[in-house]
Amino acid sequence: MKTFGSKTRFMLALSTGLIGSIVFLGTVIAGQNNQGPIKPIKVDAKKAELGKRLFFDQRLSGDAAISCATCHQPDKGFSDGLALSKAYPGSKGFRNTPTLINTATRKNWFHDSRIGTNLNDVTREMITEDYIMNMDMRLMQERLKQDPVYVKMFKDAGYGEPSNGSVRKAIPEYLKTLTSRNSPFDKGSMTPAAKRGYELFKGKAQCASCHSGANFTNDKVYNLGVPENPEIWSDPMRHMTYVAFGTFMGIGNIMNVRRDVGANILNPKADGSNIAKFATPTLRELKYTAPYMHNGMFNSLFEVVAFYNHGGGEDKNKDKNLKPLELTFGQQKDLVAFLEALSGDPLNTKEFVWKEKIPTNYTAIENWRAVKN
Amino acid sequence: MKFAKKISGLLAGALITVATVGIVHAGSDVPPLAPLGDPPIPADNKLSDVKVKLGKMLFWDPRLGGDASTGCVTCHEPDQGWGFGDALSRGYPGTVHWRNSQTVVNSAYLMKLFWVGAASSLEKQAPSAAKGGVAGNGENDVMEARLAFIPEYRKLFKQSFGTDWPLISDAWKAIASFERTLIHNNTPLDKYLRGDKKALSAQQKRGLELFNGKAGCIACHNGALATDQKYYNLGVPPSERWGEDGLAQITFRYEQFAKGVTQKMYRKIKDDAGLYYRTKQKVDMGKFRTPPLRYLKYTAPYMHNGSFWDLTEVVEFYNQGGGENDFTDGTMAKSKSPLIKPLGLSEKEVEDLVAFLDAFSGEELVVEPPTLPPYAPLPNPAKN
Repeated sequence: MKTFGSKTRFMLALSTGLIGSIVFLGTVIAGQNNQGPIKPIKVDAKKAELGKRLFFDQRLSGDAAISCATCHQPDKGFSDGLALSKAYPGSKGFRNTPTLINTATRKNWFHDSRIGTNLNDVTREMITEDYIMNMDMRLMQERLKQDPVYVKMFKDAGYGEPSNGSVRKAIPEYLKTLTSRNSPFDKGSMTPAAKRGYELFKGKAQCASCHSGANFTNDKVYNLGVPENPEIWSDPMRHMTYVAFGTFMGIGNIMNVRRDVGANILNPKADGSNIAKFATPTLRELKYTAPYMHNGMFNSLFEVVAFYNHGGGEDKNKDKNLKPLELTFGQQKDLVAFLEALSGDPLNTKEFVWKEKIPTNYTAIENWRAVKN
Repeated sequence: MKFAKKISGLLAGALITVATVGIVHAGSDVPPLAPLGDPPIPADNKLSDVKVKLGKMLFWDPRLGGDASTGCVTCHEPDQGWGFGDALSRGYPGTVHWRNSQTVVNSAYLMKLFWVGAASSLEKQAPSAAKGGVAGNGENDVMEARLAFIPEYRKLFKQSFGTDWPLISDAWKAIASFERTLIHNNTPLDKYLRGDKKALSAQQKRGLELFNGKAGCIACHNGALATDQKYYNLGVPPSERWGEDGLAQITFRYEQFAKGVTQKMYRKIKDDAGLYYRTKQKVDMGKFRTPPLRYLKYTAPYMHNGSFWDLTEVVEFYNQGGGENDFTDGTMAKSKSPLIKPLGLSEKEVEDLVAFLDAFSGEELVVEPPTLPPYAPLPNPAKN
C-alpha cells in the first residue's frame, strides 16, 4: 500500500508537531491526486442511446421483472436508497448498490473489486448472475430480436442484428455518459465550510490518501472495520443469497461464515488477513446515494465522518493506518460540507433516462415461415 | 399373431433398409401389450418413506426454480394429468416452453425421458427441467442455498441422505423417489391382460384387435409400457403458436441456439427437429420418442407439441397416414417413418380404437398437496 506508506510518514510528521509541514504535505497529495472535474467521455451517440434503452428494459432479466435501473435509479444517483440491494426475485442482496456515475473511470468494479477488466465483463456479470438478473443471454438475444425497435437501433448503431455481444458493448457505452457535472467543487463555488473541509480532507483527516484522483478513489481495497450489517445474517433470504454467492466464489466454510469476506475471494490468505477488505468508493454524488459503505450501515455522511474520526471500527485485521483523527465537531461538519460539494446535477433528464415506454410483451413476426430467423 | 403379418406387409411395401429404423425387426417379434408391474428402483437411490415425503415437498416447492415461483408442479399439475393442459408447456415467467409437458405418471418406467430422450433417468430429468432457461431457470448455487435455510428440509435431507447440509443432487434423488410412487398400473387394460375378461367392453376388445392388427399401433406402442422408447417422425404439423405468438417465436429460436445447430440451420429452421438436436444426424430430424399410453385420458393435448386436443383427432391423424412437416417433405429432411401409412379404418373402427385407448386409464391419481416448510435464520455457528 504505497499510499498509506507515505501517510505513515505523514503521521510521524504530525506527531512531531511540524504543523507547518502538514499543509505542505497535504497540498502535495492533492496535487498528485489531480482532484478536478471529470472530463466527459466521448461516446458513440447511437450506441449509447441503444445502451440507454437496454439499461431500462426489464426484459433483460430472466423473468422480465427487473432492469438495471431497478437498482440503479437515476433519481438516486444510480443507486437505490437501500442499505442492501433488492436482487433478483427469490433472492435478496447482501451489499449496497453502488452509484454508476463515473463508473467508466474506475479500474475495477464491485465492492470486492472482483472484476478488474472492463464494463463489458461487468455487464455480463450483472445480467447473467443468478441472484442479480438471472438471464440466459441466448434467450435475451432472441427477446431483443423480437422487438423491431431494437432491430433498428442495433442496426443503426452499426452492430448488425441484436446480439449478446453487442449488448455488452452498448450498455458500457451508455454508462460512459454518466459523468458528474456542475458540482460546487468542480465549479469552484464551494462554501467557506466546504473549503475548510477540503483542507481537512487533504490534510488532517487524510481522506485523500485513498480517495484520490478525479473520481476520489484509488480503486484499492481496505479493511476499515465497518460493522457487519446484521440483516445479512438474520434475514434468511439475504443470508442464503450470500451462501449462493460464496459457494460459487469458493469461500471456505461458507455455512459458518458470518462476516462478509469482501475482496478475500480474490486473494485468500490462510491467516485471514485479507478478509473484509472492500474497495474505496467514489465520493462523488454522495448527496444522492445514501446509505453508505459496502453494506449500507451508515445513513448519513456525518456518521461516516464520525466513524473515521473514531479511527474506523473493530476488526483484528483493520488497516493499521486508520487512527483516531481527533477532528472537532466543527471540523467534522466542515468535512461533511466538503463531501456534499462533490455532488453535481442529478443525471435524471432525458439525456440519461429512457423516458419512452418500453413494451413488456412481444409482437409476432409476420409471415414467420417465410422470413429467415 | 395376426398383426405380425400386417406389419411385415407394411414394411415390405416401404422398401426400406434394415438399418434406418429400429422397428424393422418388430414385425416378427415386437413384445405384446402386457400388464404393468412395479417400476425399477435404481440401486443407488433406494426408496424410503422419508425420501418420498421429502421428494413430494420438493416437487411442489417453487423455491427450486430461478425466482422461487416455478416448481416441478408448475408444469406438471396433478389436476392436469400431472402435465400441463395447453399445447405448449407454461414455461418460466417471461417465457413459454416449446414442447408439450408430459405426464409424470409412470415416468418411473422410462429410460428415455423428455421428448427426445435427453435424460436417461428421473435423477437426470429433474435438474434439466429445474435449470432449463424456459422451464425452471434455476441455478444450483441458489437452489442449494435455499434448501439449507429450511429447517424441515435440513432434517429430512439428513434422515434421507445423512448430510448436514442439503445437497442439490440429493434433491433430484428425492424428487425421483417421489415420482416412482406415481404409478398407474391397475387400468382396465391391466386388469384385462391379467385375466379379467370383463374389464374391457366389447367395443374396447374390437379396438384392441385393431390396435394389434389393422391399425398397426403395436409396432411402436408395444410391451408392458406400450412404448418401444424409440424415435419416429410421424409428420405432426408444427406448433401453430410459432406462427402467431412472439413469445413462442423467441423460445423457438432460443432452443435452436441453445441446442447448438449451425448458423445456416438456425436461419432456416421453422419446426422442432427433435432427435436431431441430440444426434446431429439428418435422418433423425423431426423424430420424437414414442410416448407411453397409460393415463392418456387425463393428459390432453397430445403429441410433442400438443397439436391434437382429443384422441379421435390423434387416431384420425394416423388413419390418414400421419401428416406432413418440414422433415417429411424435404424442406429440411425426409425422415417420415415408413410405418406411417393410411390405415383405411372406418368411422366405426376409429371409434372402437378410441374406446380402447380409454382402457389405458384408470382412476385419476390424486394426492394431498404437501405443506411447504418456511425459511428460518441459520443458528449461529458454535465457533467461527
